[in-house]
Amino acid sequence: MTVSDSLSMDFDLPHPPEKVWRALTDPVLLAEWLLPVFGLELRAGASFRFQTRAFPGWDGTVSCRFVEIEPGRKLSYTWTVPGMDTVVTFTLTPTDAGTRLSLVQAGFQPPHKREFGGARAGWKMMGEKLATLLGRLS
Amino acid sequence: MQTAAEDRIFQALADPSRRAIFESLTRGEAAVKDLTARFDISQPAVSQHLGALKAAGLVDSRREGRCVYYRVEPRGLKPLVDWITHYRAFWTERVGRLERLLESMDQ
Repeated sequence: MTVSDSLSMDFDLPHPPEKVWRALTDPVLLAEWLLPVFGLELRAGASFRFQTRAFPGWDGTVSCRFVEIEPGRKLSYTWTVPGMDTVVTFTLTPTDAGTRLSLVQAGFQPPHKREFGGARAGWKMMGEKLATLLGRLS
Repeated sequence: MQTAAEDRIFQALADPSRRAIFESLTRGEAAVKDLTARFDISQPAVSQHLGALKAAGLVDSRREGRCVYYRVEPRGLKPLVDWITHYRAFWTERVGRLERLLESMDQ
């Protein structure tokens, strides 16, 4: 088992980056594959929210704010749920077959340290050490 | 989604000094005085950091004579592992839906 402070996944999609980009940024399409989204305006610094099912202790709101928007290539936003801030980053790379979609969720930190732009600090540093920790200790 | 246990872990490790002490302990058990020498922090401060790490379940301690030794408690990281596992499953499922959506979209 590996442990890390960030989650990183790659997906190869047989579709052009422009099309994938649309699915990542169009509220109607987002609602179809990710979550219903409200107040989405594609502008760095703009806030919006995803809404999922509520359960005790959480109303199901994911608060987000765009960190970086590079049309057709990169989309990054904060992903905040009670008790934790993370940053989700999608990177689109053209391939012969279509698009490589890289997804990274990183930057865990407690809410009292919440601060726009600094969201990726903190946990990032633990990275590789945490990744090997359990293996070494078990 | 977020438990009190996770809160304690994230808060304990958000502090750079505590993170450094925790990382140091991943290399092996150490006494408070060793850590004090290693980090050039006062002994009360080191003890306070260790207390926070222990409260978060990240380290454990044992007393031997006049010394208290601290070591990493591997099970303490389980909530973090659980969190990653949760989101890995979430994104895998959602990107599966994205793939099906892309199939149905016009160019």
